[in-house]
Formats: sequence, structure tokens, C-alpha cells
Amino acid sequence: MPVHYEAEMGKNDWAGAAVIAAICETFHPDEEDEQVADELLSCFNCRYRRWTVASFSCCKGKPLDH
Amino acid sequence: MQILIGIDDTDNLDSPGTGALASQIATDLDSNGWGKSSFITRHQLLVHPDIPYTSHNSSMCFRADIKDECLEQVIGHAAGFLARESAEGSDPGLCVVVVDQLTEPSELMTYGRLAKESVLTKESAYELARLSNIHLSEHGGTGQGVIGALAGAGLRLGGNDGRLKGQLYIGEPGSIVSVVSLVARDDIDEVQSLDGGAVENRDMVRLGEKMKTVLLGGKAVLLVVATCGAPDEARWQTCSRQQLKRY
Repeated sequence: MPVHYEAEMGKNDWAGAAVIAAICETFHPDEEDEQVADELLSCFNCRYRRWTVASFSCCKGKPLDH
Repeated sequence: MQILIGIDDTDNLDSPGTGALASQIATDLDSNGWGKSSFITRHQLLVHPDIPYTSHNSSMCFRADIKDECLEQVIGHAAGFLARESAEGSDPGLCVVVVDQLTEPSELMTYGRLAKESVLTKESAYELARLSNIHLSEHGGTGQGVIGALAGAGLRLGGNDGRLKGQLYIGEPGSIVSVVSLVARDDIDEVQSLDGGAVENRDMVRLGEKMKTVLLGGKAVLLVVATCGAPDEARWQTCSRQQLKRY
């Protein structure tokens, strides 16, 4: 059962999502059609992010805790 | 006959996405000689706590021109494929619309728009399918994917929603090409500006890193934004992924 971490960066903190993904060991790129950030390494492009109303949750747990 | 095939809720976090399954169904349709499929579109539906979805709640749809006598084969193949290939824990749904036999096209388009802004039920999906002469079926799990499958078909029919599956490979990033050469391609119908400014055939466009088309007016449209370059440089550049996110 994945641990969901509700991010607080909204849906448009492109720089923040890139910083987190760059040091995340579980980042896995989603299929191209679901990628929305210009930088490949971004939580917004990750297979394990689940979009929520306000932002996204990480299905692998809080990214910075890996 | 012209048909729309919509599918939804076929994946889990570790499986191929719904787009990959849509691609395979389209490929099979072509290779079996049943007809010819068109591009696949991705349609974003509402993200809401009351809606079960894997990670994005997007639906996939494509149009195909098929031989009349092949309709049942196409439906049977797509249904069997979803039952076999959908991921564990998914709730796959299949929608097949015969466009010329659609009795309530406006209702279907409205349903698609509603799915982007409200929580809908399976019952409402089946009711509309029954009234509109649409094939709608579920192939595992809760079958909740019928909602998105139907909505995706409605949004595709409306012609003004979603990004086309796949990237365009036109040239090296930074290279400059003419609008005329872009619209001469099979995968671009029109070039339009993001803010509505007029794009002329004689204009030049600087290519970006990732290029995709969106569905507007029923066409595959390459969106561009104005550059701030000198007059002799490209007047436009292709939109980034981030700029296309809302489509």
C-alpha cells in the first residue's frame, strides 16, 4: 500500500518539482503523453505522482525522505 | 463508417498507460484490415477525491474509418484486448460510437464537458449510451472506466479538447522552419498562436525541444507563441510542455 505524501507545491511550482525530483531515488518518468514539465526530472513528470485538486501526492512516500 | 473508440481506467502505477493500450488497439484495427485509424487524443477529466483514478484521470480516444461489416469484430477485439491487457486493480471501460448512427451527438459532447467539471456516475453513462445508440462496456474491476471512456468520446467528437498522443519530430531544437512546411506534414493540420494572434503561411517558426499538437476545431493544431526576436528571425516559436498543460 503506497504511502501518499500530499505535496504543498501546487501545480505550477516547476522549479520546486525539478529540485525534488533531481534528488529522488524513486523518480520514474511517466509516459510522454502524461508529462507536463519541460524538465524531464520533475515530480510533475513522474509516474508516481498522483494529481490532486490542489497539487499532487507522491505514491512512493514523501520524496525527500527516500 | 466512422467510429470513435474511447477507453479509460486500464492501468495501475506499474503498468503501461491507457495511451499505450489505445495505440495497440488502433494498430490492430489497421493490421487486421478492418479500417484505418486516426491519431489518438488524451482528454483530461476532473480530478476529485470522489473519483477513483490511478494518477491523472485522463481518457484516450481515437477515430477510425472502418468497413461496415467489421464493426462487431472491432468491438469484440477491443473488448477482449482490454479484458486481457488491462492492469490488475484497474476498472477498464470501452466506448464505441458509430458517428452516423449517433442519435444524440450534442448530449454526448455535453457529457464529455461535464466529466471535466463534475463527478458522474456509471448509471448516467449507461443511460446516455442507451439513449444515443452507443456501445459501452466494462471489462474488469468496478467498470468505472465506462464514464471516462464515454466522456473521452464526447470530447473527441466535440473537437476542442485534449493533446494528441505522441511527440512531433520535425527538426533540431532551435532550427527555423516555415508555417507552409509545417502544415504540409500529415501530422499537423494548422498552426495557430496560443493567444489567438494571426499566423501567416509566410511566417517562420523556431522549433522547441518537445513538440505536440492539440485538438482544436477537430484538427491537429500546432500552437506557437510570439518570439521577441529581430524582424529577420522567426516570428513564432513552438509551445513548451508547460504551455500545453491546460489542453
